[in-house]
Amino acid sequence: MVLADLGKRINSAVNNALSNSQDDYTTTVDVMLKSIVTALLESDVNIKLVSKLRTNIRNKLLESKSKSTNTAQTKKLIQKTVFDELCNLVDCETQPFQPKKKKQNIIMFVGLQGSGKTTSCTKLAVYYSKRGFKVGLVCADTFRAGAFDQLKQNAIKARIPFYGSYTETNPVKVAAEGVAKFKKEKFEVIIVDTSGRHHQEEDLFQEMVEISQVVKPNQTIMVLDASIGQAAEQQSKAFKDSADFGAIILTKMDGHAKGGGAISAVAATKTPVIFIGTGEHVHDFEKFSPKSFVSKLLGIGDIESLLEQ
Amino acid sequence: TFGFLQKHLFGNKTITEADLKTVLQKLKQKLITKNVAPEVADYLANQISQDLVGSKTANWTSVEATAKESLEKSLTKILTPGVSVDLLHEIQQKTGSKDSNGRKNPYVFSVVGVNGVGKSTNLSKLAFWLLQNNLKVLIVACDTFRSGAVEQLRVHVENLAQLTDETHTRGSKNSRGKTGNDFVELFEGGYGGSDLVTKIAKQAIKYAKDQDFDIVLMDTAGRRHNDPTLMSPLKSFAEQARPDKIIMVGEALVGTDSVQQAKNFNAAFGKERNLDFFIISKCDTVGEMLGTMVNMVYATGIPILFVGVGQTYTDLRTLSVQWAVDTLMY
Ligand SMILES: Nc1nc2c(ncn2[C@@H]2O[C@H](COP(=O)(O)OP(=O)(O)OP(=O)(O)O)[C@@H](O)[C@H]2O)c(=O)[nH]1
Ligand SMILES: Nc1nc2c(ncn2[C@@H]2O[C@H](COP(=O)(O)OP(=O)(O)OP(=O)(O)O)[C@@H](O)[C@H]2O)c(=O)[nH]1
Ligand SMILES: [Mg+2]
Ligand SMILES: [Mg+2]
Repeated sequence: MVLADLGKRINSAVNNALSNSQDDYTTTVDVMLKSIVTALLESDVNIKLVSKLRTNIRNKLLESKSKSTNTAQTKKLIQKTVFDELCNLVDCETQPFQPKKKKQNIIMFVGLQGSGKTTSCTKLAVYYSKRGFKVGLVCADTFRAGAFDQLKQNAIKARIPFYGSYTETNPVKVAAEGVAKFKKEKFEVIIVDTSGRHHQEEDLFQEMVEISQVVKPNQTIMVLDASIGQAAEQQSKAFKDSADFGAIILTKMDGHAKGGGAISAVAATKTPVIFIGTGEHVHDFEKFSPKSFVSKLLGIGDIESLLEQ
Repeated sequence: TFGFLQKHLFGNKTITEADLKTVLQKLKQKLITKNVAPEVADYLANQISQDLVGSKTANWTSVEATAKESLEKSLTKILTPGVSVDLLHEIQQKTGSKDSNGRKNPYVFSVVGVNGVGKSTNLSKLAFWLLQNNLKVLIVACDTFRSGAVEQLRVHVENLAQLTDETHTRGSKNSRGKTGNDFVELFEGGYGGSDLVTKIAKQAIKYAKDQDFDIVLMDTAGRRHNDPTLMSPLKSFAEQARPDKIIMVGEALVGTDSVQQAKNFNAAFGKERNLDFFIISKCDTVGEMLGTMVNMVYATGIPILFVGVGQTYTDLRTLSVQWAVDTLMY
């Protein structure tokens, strides 16, 4: 998986630090931090976040040094500190929304142009459909050329009922109609796809707010491309302010990008990643758990042993 | 105080590595916040070192100001195309010469790039620009993979047909029974595998020649640059379609991966063939973080033909190097 490379580098930085017996402790920590910082920057993690992370790890490690006496303890301490700080970055705490059976759960997708919203909508629809929910898809993208055809073809392939219009140009109206229709027909999960947008265009953001007002989503999901760079933080913060999304789906994780920009978006918005997209096909979709993710990242098999201490 | 002033302001000082160390660190950090990949920022910093160590600062100029000037120079050098390209002239040259049957050969473009970067949209913008220059354009749906890809281009052709001819009614067929009008038309062959792609491409070029089109614009499916099974069909596609220009669309939002994206696409066509141009899309979404374009040109030396600055047909601009450098330096 992606980020594996970043994980390897962080992990080897930690291991090198642990096996080094020549330098004094402070030097060891600083050398390790330097390689971690380089690895994070090369993976697009926001530069301010990186320096904050660096300071936090350094302070914690230098403070706690006096308490640990032998190398085994030092090893645990370093691993746990790095683990905790990375975990803080990707938010291991917030419990994301879970749709309930026999209720109407409305999910709205938002995100930048081309990030993978329409593709991920169908993936999520299939995910819930397989788990016994009655799922419908609404195409509220009336802007992008061929948007409805794209959603329609995906939905037909995946056998998911869908709603959209070739003639109506107002996305707020289509969204309202689609949701009303599926509600009436007692659908349990109603997923609303919207156009791509960016914060520099106020009108587009206003439109998103209006769609959200008529759709009244139980959950808004921001879709982020794993290859995004330093603009991730700014854009995701702006989406958070206007659309108040409660979860993130990271797409194109099958690519070569290391996902650091996306991690920065997660950190900036304190919102958990719930799924990752790993390909263009409908089943290229995985549930995401930040904790096991970071532990994999660091090559730690058993987190519990770290947490006990 | 005087020593400080002398060091920082008075100028006429011989610059050493040590003088540059903190300045370069600062500039590198700034470049990274602008989405310049660390690797590229390092390169630029080295360029400054090479340029300045041993030289003297000008009167009343600090080391920092001198370093910035040098950086500006490097960035300008990277972004300024090595050869000047007059695309319209090139097109005219090719389409102006007729073969023995008195027919012209159309000028063929294809756009390539990773998923969702804006290939189809910027291809349509390119079509608009060519139409404005009175060229007859055939748009070819060679993305036979992604859902809705063909219909997306059909909508663009309808839009473009309306823009070139107000009386065009949407959904109507032209004299050849195809989507579009006399100036712009869609060539489509449905959905299928990569065999279908090359088949469509070859048929389209023949059709364009028969029907007297000046330009053929081929859209292709988005693909992951790190997957050889997706990248290798590009080579045979280019060998069959023999496009005059292969344009890679790169997205301004992409971070450090842009370096590798550019390298891998540039290498995808074999030893004999490179990319010809980049279009850097979505520049309107990144504010001052214009680093991606530096990354991609640094990685390959391929020049930027246009930048995309929005989602409508007129949002395609020639890159102002001055603007880009000023934005990056700001
Ligand atoms: N490799 C890969 N490609 C993906 C993934 N998710 C989406 N894509 C591709 O990314 C491209 C854009 O996806 P869309 O779903 O159209 O993106 P969107 O956000 O709906 O785009 P707009 O509606 O134009 O804003 C398509 O080519 C998809 O096939 C993924 O997880 N991996
Ligand atoms: N803001 C902005 N959006 C753009 C620009 N260029 C393209 N887009 C948007 O980006 C999204 C994806 O564009 P497409 O042209 O479908 O991208 P693609 O590369 O053909 O996508 P695939 O064929 O799925 O790989 C659409 O919503 C476009 O409107 C640009 O310059 N600025
Ligand atoms: Mg979409
Ligand atoms: Mg396309």
